[in-house]
Amino acid sequence: MSHIDIELSHVSFSYAPSAPILRDITFTAYGHDSIGLIGANGVGKSTLLKLLVGLNLSYTGSIRIGGLPVAKENLPKIREKTGYVFQDSDSQLFMPRVYDEVAFAPRNYGLPEEEVEKRVGKALELTQIGHLKEKQIYKMSGGEKKLASIAAILAMEPGIILMDEPSIALDPKNRRNLIHILNSFGHLKIIASHDLDLVLDTCSRVMLMHGGRIVRDGNAREILTDRELLESHGLELPLCMQGLLA
Amino acid sequence: MDKLGGALYEIHHMDEMAERDQWLNRIHPLPKLLLAFAYIAVTVSFPKYHLPGLLCMGIYPIALFILGEIPFRDSLRRLRIVLPLACCVGLFHPFLERQPMSAIGNITITAGMVSMLTLMVKGFYSVLASYLLVASTSIEKICYAMRLVHIPSVLVTQVLLTYRYASLLLAEANRMMQAYSLRAPNQKGVHIKVWGSLAGQLLLRSMDRASEVYESMALRGYHGEFCYAAKPACKGRDWLYFGGWCVAFFFLRSIGEW
Amino acid sequence: MHMADALVAPATAGAMYLCSTAAAAYSIKKIRLEDNPRAIPVMGVMGAFVFAAQMINFTIPGTGSSGHLCGGMLLTALLGPYASFLAMIGVLLIQCLLFADGGLLALGCNVWNMAFYSCFLGYFLIWRPIRQRGLSRGKIIGASILGSMAALQLGAFSVTLETMASGITELPFAVFVGTMQPIHLAIGFVEGLITAAVLLFIYEARPEMLAPTQEPSPKGRLSFLHTIAILGIAAILIGGGLSLAASSKPDGLEWSIEQVAGSAELPLGNGENGAHALSGQIQESTALLPGYAFKGSDTAFGTAFSGVAGALAVLAACVAICCGFRFFRRKRHG
Repeated sequence: MSHIDIELSHVSFSYAPSAPILRDITFTAYGHDSIGLIGANGVGKSTLLKLLVGLNLSYTGSIRIGGLPVAKENLPKIREKTGYVFQDSDSQLFMPRVYDEVAFAPRNYGLPEEEVEKRVGKALELTQIGHLKEKQIYKMSGGEKKLASIAAILAMEPGIILMDEPSIALDPKNRRNLIHILNSFGHLKIIASHDLDLVLDTCSRVMLMHGGRIVRDGNAREILTDRELLESHGLELPLCMQGLLA
Repeated sequence: MDKLGGALYEIHHMDEMAERDQWLNRIHPLPKLLLAFAYIAVTVSFPKYHLPGLLCMGIYPIALFILGEIPFRDSLRRLRIVLPLACCVGLFHPFLERQPMSAIGNITITAGMVSMLTLMVKGFYSVLASYLLVASTSIEKICYAMRLVHIPSVLVTQVLLTYRYASLLLAEANRMMQAYSLRAPNQKGVHIKVWGSLAGQLLLRSMDRASEVYESMALRGYHGEFCYAAKPACKGRDWLYFGGWCVAFFFLRSIGEW
Repeated sequence: MHMADALVAPATAGAMYLCSTAAAAYSIKKIRLEDNPRAIPVMGVMGAFVFAAQMINFTIPGTGSSGHLCGGMLLTALLGPYASFLAMIGVLLIQCLLFADGGLLALGCNVWNMAFYSCFLGYFLIWRPIRQRGLSRGKIIGASILGSMAALQLGAFSVTLETMASGITELPFAVFVGTMQPIHLAIGFVEGLITAAVLLFIYEARPEMLAPTQEPSPKGRLSFLHTIAILGIAAILIGGGLSLAASSKPDGLEWSIEQVAGSAELPLGNGENGAHALSGQIQESTALLPGYAFKGSDTAFGTAFSGVAGALAVLAACVAICCGFRFFRRKRHG
């Protein structure tokens, strides 16, 4: 899979004209970027991620993924290359068992069953949940479910990964595991999270959102150590920084 | 609430039963599903005074319970729903049918007593048969068997999804009810003032979840049809099991007519 | 109102399976034609919602008892008749398998009694006409109560008919109907209230969920005619099924009709007298039917008693053989 870029220019979005959710967002993400999307609750992080995969098409401005505009006719192509991990794993995991869940996307894209098996095996190995292959999803813990939903995305062999709050519900060990998975993924990834330590460990670039706009876009370490900037936008320094800078 | 918690327990329990590695669990789901139907149909088709023949039908549940190593006691819990119903209808029989049929010592056995017993035994056996099916076959496998008899995938997929999200929403309803009862002590159920908002909240959350489930499917290439992997077909052994029991049912039903 | 397997004869169960299957097949066709990829996940998750919501106890003010939601009328207002019917089938199937609420064989009856009336009649005869000229709180309450009560009345009446056609109960038709209908009138009213409360909440919170789905009016008329046609076919099927059941069971429908005719003259609920008169009458009617060899004869005495003893011996032998088999198998496997 070659690198895929995302280009947004002057993107705005709202459900009702009186209450815009995203205002005039412009940025370009290159195929090897790892971007942390941060900001207080309700600033539009999830909405932005959903726009990128065409879950809302009523935006203004232009969004291009790998050169293709995000519009109805391009959705199958765009979605085939994009893996989206939902905040709530239960909404994402609708099959009864892990294997079928991870195999869902490859089967839908018409791969032969041997290839599906290979992809599933690889994805489960990457997420280190091979032992859960036949387990029923409703019996799994929150952490296991999160890893299963990431495996379901990796089986698509995507060129872009978008994650909405991936570290929620993970215990420290699984969180470490997640950071490892993210760092070994060589393509473009955008991670929306309040877990700034996770962002610091996995991202080189950070976009800070406030009131539907991107107010800062730059080097991760620079932004995440700027106490004043973070606090004025409802955030705090990453925990690992708090001791150092105090 | 007890009912919600009980239902959750029941789902998990039945699932664990169906997960065990027993010969009965390994038999293909299609013959097991068809057998359950055949057994119940034959059992309820016994005329209402043919108690002896009907009693002999008990060899099917007995054999499955013992050889399938399924604990009998758990199944008794499920009878609490069916037996009262059968009793309600059956209890009138002794009063309505007073013709003497037989006697033990000085006690006259009337037709009504026999037909009441027959009805109860039918209720008992048919519940056991469907219990044995679910205790040895998971819902997914039953759905797979449904696909094999050409039940449309719209319906089967929908049943699977309902099953998947039933335990999730039961747990959610359970949490809501716990939160409610913690703040409303001395209330058995939901007060009329919050009827709409309590169930309505759950409904809205379910609707939102449904949209997210759809989105998650759409993002992974879903366009209206589910793809299933081919699963093992019925082997000769499975059909032998099916045929053997069918012959036995037919035999019992025909000699039961004396 | 779930019917158990023991209360239906195979012929009746088969006839009702046919009716429910016809309605389900039509719904599936409709859903496929609509080609809305959201339909399946929405049906699945909303089915699960009904499953959970049915277990919530709603306290009825002033009585100390509680009412429950059945869900058909609620779903049909939100999802339309076809999707809600299929969702209810899923709920009933899972209930029957996991909780023994209604049996496998009786599933056809249960789908018909508890889903068909509320989803189809509730939608086409009540919800849609009432909604046609805009919604209001009063209309929602009226439609919910009317729909739930009508659906439960028809459902309860069908339960009576199906039980009668199966020749299971000795209760006279009139007594059965006379107890079933009033009870379900009350249950239906409470269910209607709960449904109304939930729909009102939705109406306040997200009115767009109750807005009519885009169906052009001329096509709407056509689909109404369709529904009438389905109902007609269904009625023929039921009638055919019931008469089939009646003919295969001499003590089925005809007999219950005979009883209704007879008991209409009797002062009902008159204790001893009534029961005596009834049993006398039943003796008369059974005397007309050949095939019952029990009429007090000595041979019947012998066969009945020894038959039961023999059957119990067979069962005991079966237990012994199976236990022995298991014992040796365990031993062999260590």
